[in-house]
Amino acid sequence: MNGTLVKNRLIFDFASGSLGPAKSIFASTYLYLNSKAKSLNNTFEGILGDQLFSNENSEIKKIKYSDCISNKPSKNSFNSNESSPITKIVGPLNELDWKQIYRGFKEFSLKIEDEDEIKLIKMDPGISVPIHSHAGKEYILVLDGSFCDEYGKYNKGDIQINDQKIKHTPIACENEGCICLSITEKDAIFYGRYGSFLNLFTFIRSFFK
Amino acid sequence: MIRVRDYRDELAFSDLFDFIAPKIKSYYMQNNVSSEIAEELTQEVLSTVWTKSDKYESSKSAVSTWIYTIARNKRIDLLRKNKSFDIKEEDIREFLYENNQSDKIAQGENRDQVDKINEKLDSDQRKIIKMNFFENKSHKKIAEELEIPLGTVKSRIRHTLIKLQRLL
Repeated sequence: MNGTLVKNRLIFDFASGSLGPAKSIFASTYLYLNSKAKSLNNTFEGILGDQLFSNENSEIKKIKYSDCISNKPSKNSFNSNESSPITKIVGPLNELDWKQIYRGFKEFSLKIEDEDEIKLIKMDPGISVPIHSHAGKEYILVLDGSFCDEYGKYNKGDIQINDQKIKHTPIACENEGCICLSITEKDAIFYGRYGSFLNLFTFIRSFFK
Repeated sequence: MIRVRDYRDELAFSDLFDFIAPKIKSYYMQNNVSSEIAEELTQEVLSTVWTKSDKYESSKSAVSTWIYTIARNKRIDLLRKNKSFDIKEEDIREFLYENNQSDKIAQGENRDQVDKINEKLDSDQRKIIKMNFFENKSHKKIAEELEIPLGTVKSRIRHTLIKLQRLL
């Protein structure tokens, strides 16, 4: 599958409601930050909405329209201010208890029961992640700042989806650093000078998850 | 819908209920929900349509889309029940609906696109989209129901998505 098709597939699966909890948070934040993705989602929801209206009928046995009428005012669990879905869940990003993995590189893991791991990554300006690939897919969404790798520059609202064939070295941009939301289907495999050490670290860490 | 929203018209709501409740129930049953739970969820969807009708904005989406998203969100939260995830996904998705100003400008274009896509997809492709994305059936299940090989299902889905991408 090409890159655009993989991104579209994420949006279609979000619209159909078939994503797991971690990918769903990821996709909702992506849609919030990226108006093009949101528009694509709206179109696809429109297609699914048409399918609902042309769907076959199943006989309603117990309920009546009057059962659905209540005069309780609607309540909103969230205040409609300008924070993104991810900050609705974890709170303001600058108040998180970030865990330093190495100098200039911090993580915050979201404790969500899912087979995918979802975490926030904070990279200081100019900091890079050693070259690595992935056993499963990796999804990265830029929440703030930007990063570059061998494939281009990624700004706020951009996503990158990598499969096991892609090896890359993300570097946070010099002037602003970068905060990303990341999903890994399985742990990354590191290469290069510190590769074996980082792979061992990942292996040991997996026991404490 | 507008009469329900602006005038709290119960008669209009009753018509809407008669039209949409059997279709919502089918949607849940197609998604492997039992008849009884499907009816409970349908009641929840229609209750939400009544109580939150003030949230519906015709400039943002068609009625069909808005009701579909409510039904879908309740299905997701049914699946998420008893999980450690303590925030209702329904709330996040509602927040997303309410907080996107660009929708208003894009809605007309989206509607045109939906019509264009519906027109350009052939019946097999529409069926594949329905089974895969509306009924959320696995590739294996689709292969069984259509009595075609699994590989054919995967390639049909892929071709349909490529066609969709060209139309979007």
